[in-house]
Amino acid sequence: MNEHFIKNIEIKNFKCFDNFKAERFGRVNLIGGKNNVGKTAFMEAVYVNVHSDNIEHLIISLYAIVYIRNYLEYVTEDIPTVSKALDEVKKYNTKSNIRSVTFKSESKKAKKKYYFFDEERKKGDFSNDSDDYDDIENIKFIDNYGFTNFQLNNVYTSVQLKNKEQELNEYIQEFDSTIKFFKIINDKPQCQVENEEYRSLSEFGDGLKDYISIICSLYACENGYLFIDEIDNGIHYTQLDKLWEIILTISKQQNVQVFATTHSKECIESYARVAKRLEDEEIAFIELCKREEEIKAFVYPYDWFIDEIEQEHEVRGCL
Amino acid sequence: MSLRIFVEGNDDKNFMVTLLNDLKKYKEIDVLDNINFNNYIEVMGSKSKLLDSNHIKYKKVLEKIGFEIKEALFIFDCDFEKDDKTCNGMKNSLECFENLKNELNWTIPIDLHVFDKNLDYFLVETINKKECYEHFDKLVECLDVEKLKPNKKPIANLYRDLYPYPQFDFKDDRFQPLKDKLIDLFKGTEQ
Repeated sequence: MNEHFIKNIEIKNFKCFDNFKAERFGRVNLIGGKNNVGKTAFMEAVYVNVHSDNIEHLIISLYAIVYIRNYLEYVTEDIPTVSKALDEVKKYNTKSNIRSVTFKSESKKAKKKYYFFDEERKKGDFSNDSDDYDDIENIKFIDNYGFTNFQLNNVYTSVQLKNKEQELNEYIQEFDSTIKFFKIINDKPQCQVENEEYRSLSEFGDGLKDYISIICSLYACENGYLFIDEIDNGIHYTQLDKLWEIILTISKQQNVQVFATTHSKECIESYARVAKRLEDEEIAFIELCKREEEIKAFVYPYDWFIDEIEQEHEVRGCL
Repeated sequence: MSLRIFVEGNDDKNFMVTLLNDLKKYKEIDVLDNINFNNYIEVMGSKSKLLDSNHIKYKKVLEKIGFEIKEALFIFDCDFEKDDKTCNGMKNSLECFENLKNELNWTIPIDLHVFDKNLDYFLVETINKKECYEHFDKLVECLDVEKLKPNKKPIANLYRDLYPYPQFDFKDDRFQPLKDKLIDLFKGTEQ
C-alpha cells in the first residue's frame, strides 16, 4: 500500500546539497530550517526522484522545478525551452529507496550533451523541446505563490471524479462559514456566499485559494505525492489545526505522501498537536541545519517530534 | 556551537531556567536578549532514565552531537543511598555517571554537577529566611507527610507555590559551583 513512499534519500550534486542523506520519512513530513538552508531545494530533489520513472518524466520534473522557481519572471520573460531549463539545473543525482536518478549536462567542443540515468542525449534527441511533456497526474507541487486557476481546475477534476464536492464544500464552510458553495464555472474558480451570486475565488483572498488547492490536490494525488512550499502562507493561525486535520485525514485515505515546508512556529505546534490528537504516528518533522557549508537533516519521527515540542525546543534550525 | 543540559525532571528544568535567567540578568553570561533557555535543556524524566544510555532521548540527541551540540552538562541528585544502593549516594552516583559516559561514548566535553542529597534539600537550605523554613519544616514534621513525599519535596514545593523562584538567594555561595559551570558552558555559545 505504501510501497511508493520515499523513506530515505541521498542527494549529491544538486543545488546546495553535495553529499546529503536523510531517512525515516513519514506519510506526512513537515520541513523546518533557517533561510537558505535548502528546504525548497530538498523538496525539489525528492519531487524529481519520485517523478523519474522514465527519461521523459525526469525531463519534465527538472523543467518543472526551474519553471516553479522562476514563475514570476515569466510575466516579463519568455518561458524557457526544456534545454534552457536543463542547462540551468546542470546536474542532479539522487538515490532513494525507490530509485536512483542521475542527470548532467555537459558542453564539449561547443556541443551540448545531456545524460539522463547516464544515457546520453543531444538536444535534437528530445522528443520535444517545448514545455508540453505530460507530467504524472498524482504528483503535485504547490509553490509559495499558490496554484494558478489552471492548476486548481486540474486538481478539482479529481474532486469531481471522486464525487467529493460535498466534502470539499464542508471543509470550505469550516474555513469560512459564509461560503455555501465552491464551483469551477467557465474554467474560473468561484464561490457563492448565501443569497449572493457566484464570485471569483480571487475576491476571497489567497488563504482560501491555497486551502482549496491543498484539499483538491490531496484528492488528485491518490497513491502519489504532494509537495507544498510554505504551507502556512496566507492561512490564519486559527485555521492551522483544521488544515492539518484535513491533510492528515485525506492523505491517509488517499495514500498520499506529503512534504511541506514552513517557517512558522505556530504551524509546527499545530502539526504536533493535531497529529497527537489524531494519534497519527505516520508523521515526521525534518529539521534542516547548516554548519560550515555542510547541510544535515535531523528527521524526528512522531515520538521524538512530540517530545521536542512538549519541551518547547526550537526545531526550526540548529542553535 | 551549542550545548545541552541534561536534567532529571521538570522541576529541575524550571530551576535551571530561573538560574540561567538570573545569570543573564546580572550579565554573568553573555546571551541574546530573546534567548529561550528551554532550548538548551533536555528533561530525561528521572534519575534512572538520565543514567540509562539506552534511553530513547539519547538516540534523538546523538544525531546532533558534534554537529550542533559541542558541550554537555549533566545535572542530577545524589539522593539517599538507603533508597537505592546502585546509583544513590555520591560515590555510587559518580560511578553510574562514569558508566553512562563510557556507554554514550560522545566525543564532546562533558561536565557534571551532582546535588548533595537533592535539589529540594539544596534549595531549602539556601532560603534566606531561615525562620520561615523552620516553620515549614515543623509543619511537615507535624503533618507527618515526609513519608509520602520524602526528601524535602513538600517544603520546597510549598515554598515554590508561595514564592516565585527569585526568592531563592542566587547570591548564596553554595550556588557558585553550579553557576561557574553554567558560565563556562555558555561561553562562546551561538544562540
